[in-house]
This record gives sequence, structure tokens and C-alpha cells, in this order.
Amino acid sequence: MSEVAVISTFDNDEECAQGILALHDARIDQFRAFFPFPSERITEAIAHARSWGPSPVRYWQLFGGITGFLSAIALTFGTSWEWNLIAGGRPIISVPPYIIIMFELTILIGALSGLTGFFVHNRMPVFEPLPGYRSRFSEDKFGVVVQCDEGAAGNVESVLRNAGAADITREILAPAAEHH
Amino acid sequence: MAAAVDTNLEPRYIDVDHQVQRAMAPGSLKYWMWVLFCAFLTALGGGYRTDEVYTGLGKTGLTEPTMWAPYITNFVFWVGIAHSGTLISAILYLFRVRWRTAIYRCAETMTVFAVATAGLFPLIHLGRLWFFYFVVPYPNERFLQPDFRSPLVWDFFAIGTYLTISAVFLLTGLIPDCANAREVATGWRKTLYTIFSFGWQGTDRQWRNFQMVYLLLAGFATPLVLSVHSVVSWDFAMTQLPGWHSTIFAPYFVAGAIFSGCALVLTLIIPIRKFWRLDEMVTIWHLDNLAKIVLLTSLIVTYSYVVESFMVWYSQDALELTTFNQRYFGPQGYLFWMMVTCNCLIPLLLFSPRVRTNTVWLFIISIFVNIGMWLERFVIIAGSLATNTMPSQWRFYTPHVTEIVITVASFGWFLMNFSLFAKFMPIVSMTEMKEGISWLRQAARTSYPYRKAA
Repeated sequence: MSEVAVISTFDNDEECAQGILALHDARIDQFRAFFPFPSERITEAIAHARSWGPSPVRYWQLFGGITGFLSAIALTFGTSWEWNLIAGGRPIISVPPYIIIMFELTILIGALSGLTGFFVHNRMPVFEPLPGYRSRFSEDKFGVVVQCDEGAAGNVESVLRNAGAADITREILAPAAEHH
Repeated sequence: MAAAVDTNLEPRYIDVDHQVQRAMAPGSLKYWMWVLFCAFLTALGGGYRTDEVYTGLGKTGLTEPTMWAPYITNFVFWVGIAHSGTLISAILYLFRVRWRTAIYRCAETMTVFAVATAGLFPLIHLGRLWFFYFVVPYPNERFLQPDFRSPLVWDFFAIGTYLTISAVFLLTGLIPDCANAREVATGWRKTLYTIFSFGWQGTDRQWRNFQMVYLLLAGFATPLVLSVHSVVSWDFAMTQLPGWHSTIFAPYFVAGAIFSGCALVLTLIIPIRKFWRLDEMVTIWHLDNLAKIVLLTSLIVTYSYVVESFMVWYSQDALELTTFNQRYFGPQGYLFWMMVTCNCLIPLLLFSPRVRTNTVWLFIISIFVNIGMWLERFVIIAGSLATNTMPSQWRFYTPHVTEIVITVASFGWFLMNFSLFAKFMPIVSMTEMKEGISWLRQAARTSYPYRKAA
């Protein structure tokens, strides 16, 4: 049997969120939603359907920040020890001014690390459109795409139509294998 | 009973796209004339700078004791300008302030190019430009002492971090908007937007990670805003020079930075909304709120001037009293009073809602504020240096053509980059405008005095 993508288009985020919840109630969890802006309604519906917690990107930023902080300690303390030069009778290691360097490097490496995590977890850059993507999903429409066997597509369409989808189409992803 | 609202006149998601994309349409002849004019100013500055490198700093009016005059004034001015961008994009984002959505991209863009402009001035100030890498004494094969107690080293780390984080914040926010622009663009523009969108398609997974990284970047950028201009202020406050050695400098500089930055956002966004017909996106409601921030920070800056002067009087320190006496009534005292007029008196007009909702008035006031804030830095830097602790050395700075042209060229350079970016990239965030469309509709309905007149 062929694998198809059932592509449903919604006019607003509220109906799209209802579509996602309807799919979840019908125990259909193999879907992907597309939306042009981060709608709170859709985000909540997806969090409910997928049991998602906060994004793992935050760990990247945390560990990046810690790395930056430790790097700054190594840089300031290390170079001061290396340059064992007393200037103006002040101690070789003067912690208060070093805090500024620690702060800046915590921010810098933490932010860059968070950005790296964002690209890694989104598998970006992406060079090909994902199955079912339509350009209007980046503009003013909301899409829910379900990948399923052709036999189950009818049921998926009916769930999405009842939830308020404005338009539903099918796209064949993998044709059925021929039997000899 | 509430008045009926004609919902046909209210913006829809697709209207947001159309209006922003209209602003990105190929530029008119006037637009390119403007860009060419800015490029000419930049080239002129480049020519004078080349001559300065060839001849030496003797070409300028920089001499003992006023070695830091217009170039470091420009540096502090442009760093200060950059601050409102992060305030509007990061701090107001954390507080979920809805009116920021229409102007934050403009403010962020201004931030990045302002820091990039500021970064040129320490290099321009160097007599021997080819030794610029001495500013970064790491790795230390040149045997320069890496002194982490020096405010100039803090400055290097602070400005470098700020430029990087501002650029990252701007480019991250651009990703969904470039994906949007990619869908309607053709030719090389499609390639450009495809590159900057990194293949973004707005899936649930992508948005989940986007929201997290954007929130965290905003959280990281917030203390950075407050720290960077504090560090810049310590370039002065850490010295013993009368007029510089003051504990109030950090908050005073931060408030001044936000004041001048918000004013420059007004200076930039008012012509943009007029010439590129973005007035339904950037409404009077947005400008009114921005003007209130300008007014608030003007009052804080005024308070800082009063406290600074009061502390000098209260200390009865002879050196400080002499410096401030020269600042108010010396040969360049008129600059101080012009500064007070521009920064403290003229912004008081913004108490009037009629002024805050009149774009011509706002534009004029914003220009005065920027003149005033440039003068503030000049008065602090050049004025204090001129009257140091050795009266035999006293000498007030007089500018030569070279510094004047390079200063004007910095505005040309900044405006050229900003104008090009605003034409080729979405200068209003389509994503956030759609997210906050209910607030935009509310703004469109808001009755302002000018609407009643219309």
C-alpha cells in the first residue's frame, strides 16, 4: 500500500489547534504542523499531543555559559600568573575586574552555544522542502500534515475535516511496491 | 455601548506580508540617490582618513591635553545609539510589551550597524593603523602585558560580545521572515532569502526550538545592554581626571544611551513609514509609546546632570569645581547649554500627547536629542580633558576639517548600511506582527487626536 501525506490547511490558529487535538484524540500521532508564527494555541495543543517539555536548546545555552565562565577564569588567572608582574602594588590576581571578563565570556559563549543547539535540534540548514510543505504555511495559512498508509487516509481526512480544515489534499510519498 | 468596528479595514495576516514586502520592492530613483549620497559621504571620509594615515594625527586638531576628542566622542555616541535596539528587542520582549513588534527590527538593525560604526573609531583614532592588532594582546607572542584591570581591555570584551550577540539576535529573528520572503521572491533575491532562512519551514519542532533560543538570547542580551555602556563609562570613570571620576557614570551613561538610541529609532522609522507606506504597520500608537520612553529617559538624564553637578558642589573639591565652572561658563560653555537645551528642555514637549502623535514634531525632537547627546559626550570627553589638573596645560580643542569630515562620514556609512539592509531585508518583523495582530487591530482602532482631525 502507498504511503501518503494528508495535507490539511486551516485558516486560523484556533482551528489548527483543534485539528491537532482531534488527531490526538483519534490516536493519530504521526503528524507535523506548519504555522507562520508561533501561535500560543497551537503550541499548547502540540505540547498536549506530544507530551513535550521545554526545548533541549536550553541545555546548550547552560553548558555554553558555564564553558564561557570557566574559559574566562582560565584566561584571566592563567595570563596573570604567566605575567607575574606587580603593577602599582596591586595583587597579581585581582578578582573584581576579572568578573567583567567572566561575565562577557559567559554571555558570548552561552549565546553562541544556544544558537548552535538551535541549528542542531532543527537539523538546519534544510535544503529540501519537507513532505506536505506549502509556501502559504510561511505566509497566512496553518497546515497539519499526516503521513500514513493510503488505507488510513480516509479516516485522517474525516478527523481533520470535522475539526474545521478549509482544504484537504493528498500527496503520494512512496508508491506501493509491485508484487510479482 | 461600544462603537461598531469595520473589520474589513483591519489588518489580516496576508496584509502584513504585503505591506512589508512592498517596502522590500526594488528601490526608486530617489532611494538610490540617497544611498549614493551616503556612499559619497563615506568615500569622502575614507579619503580624509587615508590622508590622515599618510600624514599622521597632526593633521587633526588632536593635541595635548585633548587627545580624545571627536573620535572617542563618536565611539561613545555610536555605542550608545546601539543600546536602544537591544532594549526594544530583548528587554521589552521579556516584558511582553506588544508595541515593540513593529519597531524592534528597525531598532536591532540600527544596533548592529551602530556598533559596527563605533568599532571603526578606535581604529581611526590610532595613529599607526597597521598596529591595530596590538589592541588584542592575545596570544601574547609580542610580550605586551595583558592587563585585565584596564577598562580598555574590558571595553574590548564588552563591545566584541555586544556586536556578536546583537548580530546573532538580529539574524535569528530574521530566519522565519526570510522564509516568508523566499516564497514570493524571484531571481537572486530568492537565493539571498533561501540562504538567510536556512531552509526554515515553520514546523512545530522548529518553532519550539526557535522560541526557546529567542527567549534565552533575550535573557542573555538584557544584562549585556546594561553592562556594555557601564563598561564604556568606566573608560572615563576609572581615571582620576576631574569631570570623569564619578560613580554616577554607569547608570548615567546607560540612561543616556537608551535616550539617544530611542530618539534615533524615531529619526529612522518616521521617514521609512512615510516613504515606504508602512503607516498601517508602524502606527501612531507605536510612535507614541516610543516617544514616552524618550521622555522618561530624558528626565533620567536631566536628573543625572543635576546629581553630577550637586555632588561636585557638595564635595567642594577645588579641581572638580574648577572643571565644572569651565564646563558651564568656560570658552566652550555654550556647548553645555546647547546640550541642556536639546536633552532636557526640548524633550519636555513630549509631555503633550499632541506632540507625541505628530510625526513632524517627533522627527524634529529626535534630531535635537541626537545633537544633544553627541554634545554631551563631547562636553564630557573633550571638555574634561581640556581642563586637567595642570592649568599650565589647559587647552580647548578646536576641530580641523579632517575630524569634521570623518564624523559626518560616519553618519553616511551608518545610513548607507541601514538603508541597504532596510530595502533588502524585512524591516518590520512579519512573524511578530502576525502574532500580535490583535494588538495591531487595537492600535488601528485607537483614537488619537490626529485621527479625530482626520
